[in-house]
Amino acid sequence: MTPSTTATDLPLSSALQDNINDSKITIEQSPHPAYLHHLATQILHDLQHQHDWTFLTIHKFSSLTNNPLPRPIISGLPPRRAYIHPDEQIEILKAEHETGVSVKQEPEREWVLPSQIQETWSLAKFTLVFDALDTVPPGDSGKENEGERSVGWKWQGKNRQKRLLLGTVHDDSTVVYYIMHDGIVKPRQN
Amino acid sequence: MCRRAVMTQSIDSVSEPIPISLVSGRYLLFDINVVTYLRRTHNICGVLIGGIPQAPQQNVFLGLPLELIPEEVKLLVAKEAAYIVDDTAWHKERFSTLQGEDRRKYLDSLRSEGLQARKATDAAAKEKTKKALAKQAVLRAQNKSISTEKSIDVETTVTSSSERVGKFFEDASESGESLFNNERPPSPETSSALNPYFVTPTTSYSPSSLPENPLQHPDPPVSCSYPLFSHLHSRGYYIMPGLRFGGDYNVYPGDPLRFHSHFIATGFEWDQEIPVLDLIGGGRLGTAVKKGFLIGGKDKESESEGDSVRTFCIEWAGM
Repeated sequence: MTPSTTATDLPLSSALQDNINDSKITIEQSPHPAYLHHLATQILHDLQHQHDWTFLTIHKFSSLTNNPLPRPIISGLPPRRAYIHPDEQIEILKAEHETGVSVKQEPEREWVLPSQIQETWSLAKFTLVFDALDTVPPGDSGKENEGERSVGWKWQGKNRQKRLLLGTVHDDSTVVYYIMHDGIVKPRQN
Repeated sequence: MCRRAVMTQSIDSVSEPIPISLVSGRYLLFDINVVTYLRRTHNICGVLIGGIPQAPQQNVFLGLPLELIPEEVKLLVAKEAAYIVDDTAWHKERFSTLQGEDRRKYLDSLRSEGLQARKATDAAAKEKTKKALAKQAVLRAQNKSISTEKSIDVETTVTSSSERVGKFFEDASESGESLFNNERPPSPETSSALNPYFVTPTTSYSPSSLPENPLQHPDPPVSCSYPLFSHLHSRGYYIMPGLRFGGDYNVYPGDPLRFHSHFIATGFEWDQEIPVLDLIGGGRLGTAVKKGFLIGGKDKESESEGDSVRTFCIEWAGM
């Protein structure tokens, strides 16, 4: 309560600060400025602890061109499907109605593009990001070889429209996520 | 242009290119056939902005004229499906020079339109009378059978009102003093003076006097969203002004009378700065009304074929 705290008894650094400190070594090898890396780290932290995402990775280079990405981009596996296309939803409902068995929805890896509320983007910048990314983040367990095509395969894996989650962090460390599709994708009827 | 009174003409009578009236900066259409034609053939809806004479104190339902947004006009002009007529200039040019034969022809055309409208109304009225009379006859026949039954039943003192009415007509017709005389003696005026309706033309020149070789009017000035507009239009979407949901356009997958809109679309220049808050606001609003927030624009450096418009859809991720 006393305002006379000295530099020696600073409070312990937060988990987020630790996280950022830990990433210092990787930042030095990164083609991106430190603040972009800190932004990505902060959003990764939120995904990991707030939303229970797993297999989180920060990508610095494009897997398509091997050039540096416009900024570090996160990929990870959400605990449940982050997006179901409305037509896929219809197919699932149909299948469930016919078989009487509920169709299990396996989560898919997603891209997360870190951003900050005071930033401005442009169509050109978004295009650079999308063009540098694969449709599906790397490291997916190869489910492609399943003999039978699962329900809604047309909207899954490599068949899906390229998309990412735009994670935007506010000064109060609130992070909001918006799905961004590359192209015209009809909306979900939630 | 001023054929609105003649509703019997179908949209088949519409021929391209269509003249679009430019009146004090607005692009207007005055012919319902043209409006229908554009909607059916070119997915162009426009916005009705005229009051309805029968219901003047409301603005939920509006009538002609139809206002087109500059993007729609530019698109139609680019397709050579329409051309712009500057009404003021054309009026000044034509009104003073409309003389002699031309003038008589124009007045005659107005008269014949009025006459046609009159005939159409009269025919409709006659048809209506015929139907009503036929109905009456059926009713009368029914009542007759009922009343003969009832007359046997002496105790019936209370007759239903419908019966009473039927009885009244019956009595009247029997006594030959029908209030609603079917066989009206042909009055001398109906045959000779089928007065034409007076048609108020919406333009001060006759449609036949429109420029034969429409001068290529300079393209209407459009916003930077035009590439997105034409991109969506070329993919069969119907587009309405987007004020309702705070974007440039509301984008419908089919006719707006049959579908809800899919997108709130906003166009941007390729390098125009887009605040992240705008994206979040649009995405959030869109998701709340079951739409996607669609942004897009033309890549000016792109060398790829097609219109090189790039689009992105934004929805709330639900987390």
